[in-house]
Amino acid sequence: MSGQSPRLLLPFVLAAYLGLLAPLVVVIAVSFGPSAAFEFPPHGVTLHWFEAFFASQAFVTAFFRVSLVVGLLAAALATVLGTSAALGLVRFRFFGREAVETFFLAPLLVPEILLGAALYLFYARLAVQASIWTLLCGHLVICTPYVIRSVTAGLVGLDPRLEEAAMSLGANRVQAFFKVTLPLLRSSLVSGAIFAFIISFSDINLALFLSGPQSTSLPVHIFSQIQWQGDPTIAAASSMQIVIIGLLILVVQRIFRLRLVV
Amino acid sequence: MYSGRARPIWVFLTGPYALFLLVLLVVPFANIAMYSLHPYSPTKVFLPELTFANYRKILDLYYVRLFGRTLRLGLITTAVCIVLGYPLAYCLARARARWQAIGLFLLIMPLMVSAVIRVFGWIVILGRKGLVNQALLVLGLEPVRLLYSESAVVIGLVNIFVPFMVLPIMASIERIPRSLEESAQNLGADWYRMFQRVILPLSLPGLISGCLLVYSLSISAFVTPALMGNPRERMAGQQIYDEVLVSFNWPGASSLSLTLVLVTAALIFGALFATRHAGRGEEAS
Repeated sequence: MSGQSPRLLLPFVLAAYLGLLAPLVVVIAVSFGPSAAFEFPPHGVTLHWFEAFFASQAFVTAFFRVSLVVGLLAAALATVLGTSAALGLVRFRFFGREAVETFFLAPLLVPEILLGAALYLFYARLAVQASIWTLLCGHLVICTPYVIRSVTAGLVGLDPRLEEAAMSLGANRVQAFFKVTLPLLRSSLVSGAIFAFIISFSDINLALFLSGPQSTSLPVHIFSQIQWQGDPTIAAASSMQIVIIGLLILVVQRIFRLRLVV
Repeated sequence: MYSGRARPIWVFLTGPYALFLLVLLVVPFANIAMYSLHPYSPTKVFLPELTFANYRKILDLYYVRLFGRTLRLGLITTAVCIVLGYPLAYCLARARARWQAIGLFLLIMPLMVSAVIRVFGWIVILGRKGLVNQALLVLGLEPVRLLYSESAVVIGLVNIFVPFMVLPIMASIERIPRSLEESAQNLGADWYRMFQRVILPLSLPGLISGCLLVYSLSISAFVTPALMGNPRERMAGQQIYDEVLVSFNWPGASSLSLTLVLVTAALIFGALFATRHAGRGEEAS
């Protein structure tokens, strides 16, 4: 930063960060505190609420059977769908390509709560019961654009002549793709997949509408526990989500560009 | 570049996701467009006749207030996000690579954590026995009721959406060459003047897209107003949620949703137009 910028800038920015991170710090602190009344700062350290988390059938199901499963499936499927879509968009020129690209990123512009409501009413009309599959389909709509963005960014930096060279050396197009392009795209693919997982794992707006009684995702369960004034087990579950997401973001930052999110 | 004519491979590559979006994005919205034109009946899911009653209902005082409150809170949230986010974006854009990496991590990590968790943190901070009230007690002051008010909602929304303001502004400041700042200052402008004449106008496209993102996200927020707001002063997202899942007034929810989608779309097109206009102004000058 240039020396002449105003002296108050740095303290201001640090204060803004403090506000940004405060809720996460408080949640983690509460999850280790002995008091059941969301006490901050906590008087002591205990793992009681984490034990309570693993003892609670509802929390364990929401975390491991719903959120984790849907997140992993969404990441895998979104990566396949998104990578193939990005390849089609970057490597080929066809009529209406830009319109298709806008259409593919449109889910990012649709307010999630409205998408959730629209999907709920659509499923209701088709008489489809809520399950992890209805949730997964909804999540794929909002996850795939992140993969498309990430893979597009990777592909743009990749010389198509590498693939052509492989083909002139006797590989067919499929071989050239799997032996040359795909390995070179690895880091943008992995970060796309991680983003897809995170978006699904932390989503609440779609899940509020698409989770059924047997498929309540972790954020939805946390939401209802807050409404019913639950105990710091909520904080323990939240801390686990914060740590998982923090680690994944760290991986993305290591291997690719973090700022592709927006 | 391959020619797509012999075998249209791009169709096979883009087709699956296009089809997927058609079924799970276009058709569901067409479905609510259709619902919104049919009358609501408490006993029947679907009545065949057509009506505009669901849209006329939005002109009732209750809904006018609802939308007024929603759009107003969105504006306040956006304004606060500019004030907090712009300096942050400037610092991040001009920071050394190492600090920038740390700053970006600390900005994007909270963004990715579920909104419900961040709202939960604020409930602990602002609650009756929360951090703020404890501090007031220590200072010998009366505890205040902070939660379940409009200011609580704005605090929550700003906290959740401020990264969406920072990132686009940061991207456009990074594109401004540092030499431009230096030459303005060499020519005698002080920092504030340089900022006003160089940085601010050139970062306008980023600022516009940041405002747009934050505004359209806040007017469709649900979790924050539902958990931190006054239950009697709701925002549009809560009304939609209730009409879908609690009162089962699906035609009503559909017309509300479409109205909100149209507001968002109008904003996006308006801002796209403005950005393009601003971009052209830049090239001309």
